[in-house]
Amino acid sequence: MRKITLMLMFASLLLIASAAVAGDPGKIFGKGVSAPDTVLISDVLSHPEAYVGKTIRVTGTAVGVCKHRGCWVALASDQEGESLRVKVKDGEIVFPPEIIGETVTAEGVWTSNIVSLKPAEPKHASKHVAEAGEEKPACATEGASCKTVYQLSGTGAVVVGE
Amino acid sequence: MRTFRRVCRFLHRELGFLTVGLTLVYGISGLALNHAHHWDANYRRTRTELHIEPVGTGPTAEITPRVLALLAPAEPVKNTWRAAPDLLQVFVEGAQYDVDLVTGKVVRSGFARRALLWDLNFMHLNTGKSPWTGIADAYAGILILLALTGIFLVKGGKGLAGRGGVLMALGFILPVVYALAVR
Repeated sequence: MRKITLMLMFASLLLIASAAVAGDPGKIFGKGVSAPDTVLISDVLSHPEAYVGKTIRVTGTAVGVCKHRGCWVALASDQEGESLRVKVKDGEIVFPPEIIGETVTAEGVWTSNIVSLKPAEPKHASKHVAEAGEEKPACATEGASCKTVYQLSGTGAVVVGE
Repeated sequence: MRTFRRVCRFLHRELGFLTVGLTLVYGISGLALNHAHHWDANYRRTRTELHIEPVGTGPTAEITPRVLALLAPAEPVKNTWRAAPDLLQVFVEGAQYDVDLVTGKVVRSGFARRALLWDLNFMHLNTGKSPWTGIADAYAGILILLALTGIFLVKGGKGLAGRGGVLMALGFILPVVYALAVR
């Protein structure tokens, strides 16, 4: 029994050591960046359809982050007044508010989604519609009540200069 | 059976002492995060309004130094951004100032990490990923061991065959009922 206790203590010390060398998690997010070239945010925003589906790397000042789960960061464009949103999966990458004002390089796939501009229906209403066999009209094409939203599905980011 | 119970007692005792710290981490953080819809469990956020002399909507290179001179923030300035023709944002350590260039109204939005709780949540949510992933997995395994060894600690009427068994059954029924109810 004493040997097992000693083994437990040794294993604990190993875990403590591994925790100690964890390092500062605040500079590299997710997989970091590896794409060779940086695209200007203004170029992406002026011709968004040309970049859909492509992996791109952009750099800008972080001017906003999601307050709830840190699941997105907005990067200021090189042109005044516009910004680009880098969206990540909840929990996979968490952008802290401390990076606001820092220069951030982010990488990911540029995506487009057509979303409905109508307010979301309550859950119980959707269930009744489904039970009645009626299909909700999909927002398949852009129209009066739908719009195309572009964002970068981020895989990684780096705070530049740290 | 006697040896088996001795082993259970040994493991439960040794592992129980070992995991007091982490159990407090996850328990306290769990309480905080369980109410994340009511409050920000990681940051204390503040919002204050002030006024400066309006500088107008001229070129950014001209108005930015004037705004910074008027604001004179106590914190080091990290960056500025012309978010809109009438809005200049000034980013400082721990806050940002949204300056209405036409009216001179300024909104300061600040944030500060909650002492201790930020660190506990960081671990609970595994924000840093490796190597905490391994540590958290090990802790989860130990919790399972504690639960299983705990079943066999006590004999007789207060143990598995008596009151303990009833309590254990109730503890299983609770999550099952909830899982069935929310489907």
